[in-house]
Order: sequence, then structure tokens, then C-alpha cells
Amino acid sequence: MSVDLTAVHPTRLELLRLKRRRGIAQGIVDILKKDYDTLVMALFDLVRQVPSLRSKMRDTLAEAYTSFIEAQMIVGSRMIEEVSLVCEPVDLDIESSVGKKVLGLELPVLQFTEKTVTHNPRFNILDTPAKLDESNQKIVEALDYIIKLAEAEASMKEILDVMSVKKRQINRIQYKVLPQLDASIRYVELILEETERQDAIRVRVLQRKRKERAQKTVQISA
Amino acid sequence: MSAWKYKRITSKVIVAKMKLIDIKDLAGMVRGSFDQVHSMLMNTPYQQDISKIPPEQLSSGTLESVLSRNFARTFNEIMDSSPKDIRRLLSTVQMKFEANAVKAMLRAKKADLGVDDTMRYITPVGRIGEGECRELLSKSANTEDLIKALSDMYEYGAILKEKSTAYKETGDLLMLETALDKHAYYKIWKASGKLGGLDKRIARTVLEIEIDSINIRVILRCKALGISENQIKNYIIPVSEFFNEKVFEDSIKAVDIKSSIETMHVAARQRMAKDHRYMLNDILKEYEHSLSLSQLETVLDHSLLKTNLRMLKRYTPFFNIGLILAFLNLKWFEIRNLRTIIKGTESKISSSRIKRLLIIPD
Repeated sequence: MSVDLTAVHPTRLELLRLKRRRGIAQGIVDILKKDYDTLVMALFDLVRQVPSLRSKMRDTLAEAYTSFIEAQMIVGSRMIEEVSLVCEPVDLDIESSVGKKVLGLELPVLQFTEKTVTHNPRFNILDTPAKLDESNQKIVEALDYIIKLAEAEASMKEILDVMSVKKRQINRIQYKVLPQLDASIRYVELILEETERQDAIRVRVLQRKRKERAQKTVQISA
Repeated sequence: MSAWKYKRITSKVIVAKMKLIDIKDLAGMVRGSFDQVHSMLMNTPYQQDISKIPPEQLSSGTLESVLSRNFARTFNEIMDSSPKDIRRLLSTVQMKFEANAVKAMLRAKKADLGVDDTMRYITPVGRIGEGECRELLSKSANTEDLIKALSDMYEYGAILKEKSTAYKETGDLLMLETALDKHAYYKIWKASGKLGGLDKRIARTVLEIEIDSINIRVILRCKALGISENQIKNYIIPVSEFFNEKVFEDSIKAVDIKSSIETMHVAARQRMAKDHRYMLNDILKEYEHSLSLSQLETVLDHSLLKTNLRMLKRYTPFFNIGLILAFLNLKWFEIRNLRTIIKGTESKISSSRIKRLLIIPD
């Protein structure tokens, strides 16, 4: 990694400034890492929810289909088909809003709403068994799980996006900014040490010359 | 009571009853596959009807259709051999199947189905034969036209016409369907009152249980679906002597399904309605056990069959309408059981689940 050291003023003030910057950069890395860990935990929470939601959805759908087949078994598949010809479709909607926040990140909340108002039964009660209502109810329940799964997936995507940004920021600071600052600090320290050494030699030479001059003055006067 | 008038019908019903599929054979079918069930059915009285189905069209749907037609034919045969007063009652009982055919036509018209597609859903029965259905369907372009066409041919048209204004406003076909069902059951109830003596007593008991089991089913299902009290009242058929409108009203107003059943149970006890009490005892027990409405429906169907068979034990099994009604119900439940087995085996449902849905006499 090449660092342009020509722009760095090898002064004590610059060294202090660089050290302060390094401290701040290290602090930012620590905060970003903590944020990253929090996001990982939120992601794992969601990941843990997904299999249970998926299995609930599968079970509910299986129950719905079994109830539907049982309804066909009771009154006949033709009757169910016949009733379905005129059955009003269920009016469904999904409301999207912003829900809980993780590190200020707003996760989407999808709300399943059934708009159908039940003034009348959907099917003729004399021609259909209660199993058909059960199946209908289970399908709506399964849809609710499907929406929750979609919500979890959207939240996971959101969190993963933020995680990748945070990871890039951490990497940039950890592998670029901090090494640059370290190099600059080392450079300034080296220059300052060198200057100190030169100053010390210069002082010693001057002291020696002053001593010699003083001895000469003593000899002449004697 | 004249035993003489039953000389023909009693022997015919006994022979027909003996041809019903044995419970052991039904249990065997439950364990088999769809193809095995089909083969087993070929060794039953349904063989003649089933063999007419081309092999490539063999499915639960075609078998259902064949079984329904077989029932309609058996019903006609029994009706034709019955004494005049019983024939009159049975022809009104047939109205509930005719109402089903009219409902199928109305639904198909609303869904804009063609004549041939619609005929798949219709079992021609009684006065509504296949030719009549085709004629009605071909000369009507929509539901309103069909109602007009029905008015020229059957009493159902007049019933539907009364509701057609409301139907035009709401487009709610359920209103028309309910009117048809109610009309059929009112007529059946009225016809049963015209019988005399023991026949009247037996017919009224059996039909009362049938109609009240429908009312109970309607109340409990509507309550579970959260339908308003006023709306539930529209679906009730209050013809019963034991359960008047007040009983149903109290039951509709009950806070939950269990208290609704209890309300009717108390009413049955107060009115000394023995058969109603047996039925409500069974459904109360079942509801407390399973909390499932679908199980209750099975118990209600089972109660109807039990009432029929109880009539045979309570009175003499011969020379009255009890045997005829019991046979027709046994036949109906046999068709229903076969339909359950056929669809269940075709969909590879476990035998225990299929068995739970069968209505088998104890």
C-alpha cells in the first residue's frame, strides 16, 4: 500500500493530529463492528423465524387442502366445483408500513387484511359442509404466514444491504485509513527522531567548538 | 293402518335393502386403492351403471355422477311402487333434488357456462329431466331469462320471481338458492301432514329431524362465521312442531356455539322431544369432545340415520312408511359413503380419515 508522504508535514503538531485521527478512526471501527454485530444478531433472529414460519405455512396449507378434499368427499367434487362457479372471491390486501427499527434501520411490516365483509355465508350452507369453511379459513391463515415470510425476507434483504455497507466501511477504515495513518505517524516519528538526533549532534559540535574557543582564549591571555 | 296397501312396496324395499352394500365390504373398500374400489364396485348392483363409463373417463367425478343417477332411479322406482299417499309425499321429497338441479342451472347461468358444461353438474330428477334442462338452458341467456323460462314450466319460477327484484339489486344468488331450498322443505313438511295415522307420525318425526338438523347446521355454521342474527333467521326453515321460531331465536342469540346447542337441548327436554334430545345429546357430546363443526355435521347426519332406524324398532318395521324412508336414507348415505371412499382413495387419503367421514349405522 503506497502512502503519499510528501503531503505530510513532519512536525510534532502533525504527529499529534495524526495520532488523534488514528484514535478516532479506531473508535469508528469499534462502533461499526458493534453495529455489525447487532445487525448479525437481528439477521439471525429473522433467519431463525423463517423455518418455523415456513413449516407453519406448509402445515396450514396441508390442512387446508385436506379439508378441501374432505369437503369434496362429503358432498362430491362436482358440487364443490358447482358452488365455486358463483362464489365471490375473497378481497385481500397487503398493507405495507414501517415497523421496528434496528440501529435506526426501519424494517418493513406487511399487514395482511381481508376486506370481505361477511354479511352472508360465502357458500350455500345446505350444499356445502363445514369442512369447506375450515379449508377457506386455513387458506387465509396460510396467506398470513406467506405474508409474514415475505416480510421476514424483505427485512433480511434490508439488513444484508446495510451489513454489506457497514462491512465495506469497516474494511476501508481497517485496511486503508488506519494503515495510512500508521505509516504517516511512523514517517513523522522517524523524521522527528532524525531531526532530534541531528540537533543533538549539532549541540555537541557547538559545545565542543565553544570549549575549544574557550581554551584558546585562556592560552592567549596566559 | 292398512297392511294391504303396502303389499308391493314392502317386498320391493326389502329386496332393495338387501342389495345395499355390506358394511364389511365398505370397510374393505376404504383400505383399497382407487382401482381396487372400482373393481369392488363392479361386483355390486352399481356394476351396470359403472360399466357404461369409458375407461379413459373413469374418475371420481364420473363415478359420483353415475351414483347420483342410480339414486335418482332407485328413488323413482320406490316412488312408483308406493301407495298413492306415500307417492305424493315422495314426489315432494324429490323436490329437494329438483331444487338442486335448478340451483345448478342458476349457478351455471351466472357463471356463463354452456349447456354441455352445465349438464355435468345436473342430475336429472323428477320433473326436471335432461331434455327439460337442456331446453331451459338453451333458451335463456342469463339468470333472469332462466327465471322467466322456469316460471313457464315449474313452480320454482314463481318462487324465484318473488326474489328476482332483490337479486337484480344485490346480485346475491344465495338468496334465490335459499328460497328454493325453503320452498322444497315447506312443501315436504306440508305433504307429510297429509298422511294419516302411523305414517304421519313416522314421516313427521323423520322429516322433522332432517329439517331441524339443517336448521341446527345453519345456526351453528353461521354463528361460527360471524353472520348477523337477522341474516341467520333468513336461512332457518321453522316448520318443526318442537322447535318453533322462539327456540331458534334464543339459540341464534346465544353467546357461543356450545350455549347455542345447550339452548336447543333444554328446549328439546322441556318439549319432551325424545328424538331431538337424542340428536342434541350426541352433538353436545361431540362438540365438547372435538370443538369441531365438521364433526358435528357428521353426527347430525348420523342422527338422521339413527332416527330412521329407530322408527323401525319403535314401530313395526313393515307395513308403514318407516321402512321406505329408512331405505331411502340408507341408500342416500350409501351413495354418500361411496362418494367419500372414491374421492378419498383417489386423493390417497388415509383409511382412518376416510372412515371418520363415513355415515354407518351402529
